[in-house]
Amino acid sequence: MNRPLRIAVIVAMALAVLAPVGLVAYQSFLDGPFFQPQTTFSLSAYEFVLDDEDFFEALGNSAMIAFGMTLIAVPLGAILAFLLVRTDLPGRRWIEPLILVPMFISSVVLAFGFVVTFGPVGLVSLWVKGWLGEVPWYLYSKPSLMVIAGLTHVPHVFLYASSGLRSLGSDVEEAARSTGAGPLRVALTVSLPMIMPSILYSAVLVFFLGFELFGLPLVLGDPEGILVLATYLYKLTVKLGTPSYQLMAVVVVAIVCIALPLVWLQRTLLKTANRYVAVKGKASAVRPVSIGAWRWPAVTLIGLWLLVTVVLPVSGLVLRSFVTSWGEGVSLAGSFTLHHFKELLNYPNLVRGIVNTVLMAAVGGAASVAVYTLVNLAAHRWNSGWTRVMDYLVLLPRAMPGLIAGLAIFWVFLFVAPLAPLRQTLLSIWAAYTLVWLAYGMRLVSGALLQVGPELEEAGRVVGASPWRVSRDLTLPLIKVGLIGSWLLIFVTYMREYSTAVYLLSPGTEVIGSLLVSLWGTGAVDTVTALSTVNIALIGLGLLLMTSFRKHHHG
Amino acid sequence: MAKLIIDDLHVRLGGNEILKGISATFQQGEIVALLGRSGSGKTTLLRSIAGLEQPNKGAIRIGDAAVFDAAAGVNLTPEKRNLGLVFQSYALWPHKTVFENVAYGLKLRGCSKPEITARVEAVLEGVGLGHLGGRYPHQMSGGQQQRVALARALVYSPPVILLDEPLSNLDAKLREEARIWIRTLIKRLNLTAVFVTHDQVEAMAIADRIVLLDDGRIVQSGSPEELYNEPRSLFASEFMGVNNTVKSTVREARGGYVQIDLEGFALWGRNCGGKAVSDPAVGVIRLEQVAVAHGEAGGENTVRAELETSVYLGGHWEHVFRCGELSLRAFGKPLKAGPHWLHLPPEQLWVF
Repeated sequence: MNRPLRIAVIVAMALAVLAPVGLVAYQSFLDGPFFQPQTTFSLSAYEFVLDDEDFFEALGNSAMIAFGMTLIAVPLGAILAFLLVRTDLPGRRWIEPLILVPMFISSVVLAFGFVVTFGPVGLVSLWVKGWLGEVPWYLYSKPSLMVIAGLTHVPHVFLYASSGLRSLGSDVEEAARSTGAGPLRVALTVSLPMIMPSILYSAVLVFFLGFELFGLPLVLGDPEGILVLATYLYKLTVKLGTPSYQLMAVVVVAIVCIALPLVWLQRTLLKTANRYVAVKGKASAVRPVSIGAWRWPAVTLIGLWLLVTVVLPVSGLVLRSFVTSWGEGVSLAGSFTLHHFKELLNYPNLVRGIVNTVLMAAVGGAASVAVYTLVNLAAHRWNSGWTRVMDYLVLLPRAMPGLIAGLAIFWVFLFVAPLAPLRQTLLSIWAAYTLVWLAYGMRLVSGALLQVGPELEEAGRVVGASPWRVSRDLTLPLIKVGLIGSWLLIFVTYMREYSTAVYLLSPGTEVIGSLLVSLWGTGAVDTVTALSTVNIALIGLGLLLMTSFRKHHHG
Repeated sequence: MAKLIIDDLHVRLGGNEILKGISATFQQGEIVALLGRSGSGKTTLLRSIAGLEQPNKGAIRIGDAAVFDAAAGVNLTPEKRNLGLVFQSYALWPHKTVFENVAYGLKLRGCSKPEITARVEAVLEGVGLGHLGGRYPHQMSGGQQQRVALARALVYSPPVILLDEPLSNLDAKLREEARIWIRTLIKRLNLTAVFVTHDQVEAMAIADRIVLLDDGRIVQSGSPEELYNEPRSLFASEFMGVNNTVKSTVREARGGYVQIDLEGFALWGRNCGGKAVSDPAVGVIRLEQVAVAHGEAGGENTVRAELETSVYLGGHWEHVFRCGELSLRAFGKPLKAGPHWLHLPPEQLWVF
């Protein structure tokens, strides 16, 4: 790419990132929706929100849940990483891919699963009740929310801790073993402290995700009226009966103001983590630490976690979608039915939702990867002020949870006249998805680009290729495999996305995720479970594609 | 005729001045080695010629045209300079076959299909890979890859070909063969070639002329014999060969020669550094110029030293002598342990 084209791409990206944020900020200082003719600048919206007890309760709940889930997810994720990466745990190869599953299932779907299995009349609850005479837990409470959020965010910690551990030479552990430390001691005093930066980073990440939590509190907090920031925002419309855009905008500003420093902190921590790892450099042959008799309690721990976090909710949900009803004294075998799935076909909006979701994931995902590639190429091997500005801009959408980014994009499509006709098309949803996953997608593609040695491109220039020809003939073909891999990841990500399209839901723009959120409000459990099962099946298909692709390309 | 002219080139990278005013002229058909330690700026100079680094002062002219001229605001992009460059890592494109790698430059120049085929086949034939056009780079050995890289740089007949440490990725045996065939090939095609190396033996074997760089400046430039036999500085003398070094002060100066002291023995040497009496000085003599004097004697410019150890190098021996604090090395036939007289000819002992 030549300089003018690079600048054009970066400016376009800056516009796409700044317009929604700017519009939200602007709206927050108005006393009515921006499209109404007689609105004036005022701080009334801020006064209203800051006077609202519910807002502070939601803020407090968000902080508490974020803190609690971090305390649960980080130690568990770190221990899991040590067990799977560094020890001779039986069945490591089988367990590892399973650990990441909660990341790929949409959290509303998981939440439904928890309701179906651990709710007051859930499958597991009833079974336990048969044993003990009562259910020793209550699902719709803050502690349960905290525990479930913590358990479902273990994979995020695992991901970073395990990559940190993998880059660590096993000599440091062997040295500890030979001086007489047991495996647990090695983990706690040598391996885990050495990857402290990675763990710290993942802790900030989980805390940050705690503030963004939407699907879990929406489903699990609602029956008892437990609000967090995102659900408070979602309920604002209902609360006042009229679309009170200015209030929503204030809440969005509040969330972004909390998230932005956390995003910045993550970026700084990631840099130090990478430096830390780079110092230790070449991890030679990694020999697993033998943990002897500890292996059985360890496997039990992991199995229990998997059972509670993935296996039971997902299988409960799938089971529920195949039975007419359940409760005390209902025989499962006698109530088997395919009725709920047939029912799905009777609602054109649900059918459209499924088709749209697949389209969005497959075609939209490819288009997003193309956008991410274009933006990456614009900054590729270009050391200038423009690229540094871009680095920061990419972080901005990260501070906007999907729900908020969807809302902001919705407003942009309302506000900008030429875009208005496109508001009720899939294009608006695609724009929101692309924006929400910008930082993630950019990292996927830049990971592929980093694999290309600079001299391969320089060689192209020297033999006579223009920058554009180098990109087309050399760089892009060289990262082809990486791009397909990125597309598959984005495919699964878009498949499970539920919050971003909530505000963009209209006839013609249904996707499974936003339909689930709105259907849950109506209490249509049969439809919700059937649609969730379809969603899980589609995600499973995506994961299957991904694994076979990886096998194919990495031997 | 001058093919490539570099005029007072300054390059600054990330706040460091890498090249501090380089001027050099390269003749048509000449093979020139840019020789220096790592960090001397030799690779930066090569990359500046190719257009991959942007100098901030000076000019580079190829033939009659300026490809870079800071004063006139000229800076051609790499693809417009029409040069051939062989990368240290070869930089072969892994997704293209050998044929496609070589053909790419011709394709970019809009050659017809039959012409491309003919020229690529001819150049691959020229580097001895005529039959391997269908392979991918990873299916070839390091030596073959290096030939492909050279073919890719030669195929569109660039006026100047640049080579960045072309032999450093080959193993020792292959490197010796490659020295000879690269020189033969470039000479046969009558090309102007500039190559970067840190290995003075390689530079002497391939180049017609050596440009010795240190710390962003040219230290000395001349034929390999000149640089080896007439180094103009201590740095050049030490870089080009293996030496015995004597630190001393000048005792006497007479007609281009000065007398220095080696552990009590007076030695005359050529005054290469313009030294006067009682200046501190360093005497340098190549290992192969030190002769073991047989017989009794203790004549002019001789030193009595104890044989400490001998190492067999295949074909000849290297002896290590001790003379007081100083150790002296020399080549020769096997020797008995004990004291020996070493002769250091005055015209071969350079005093800087």
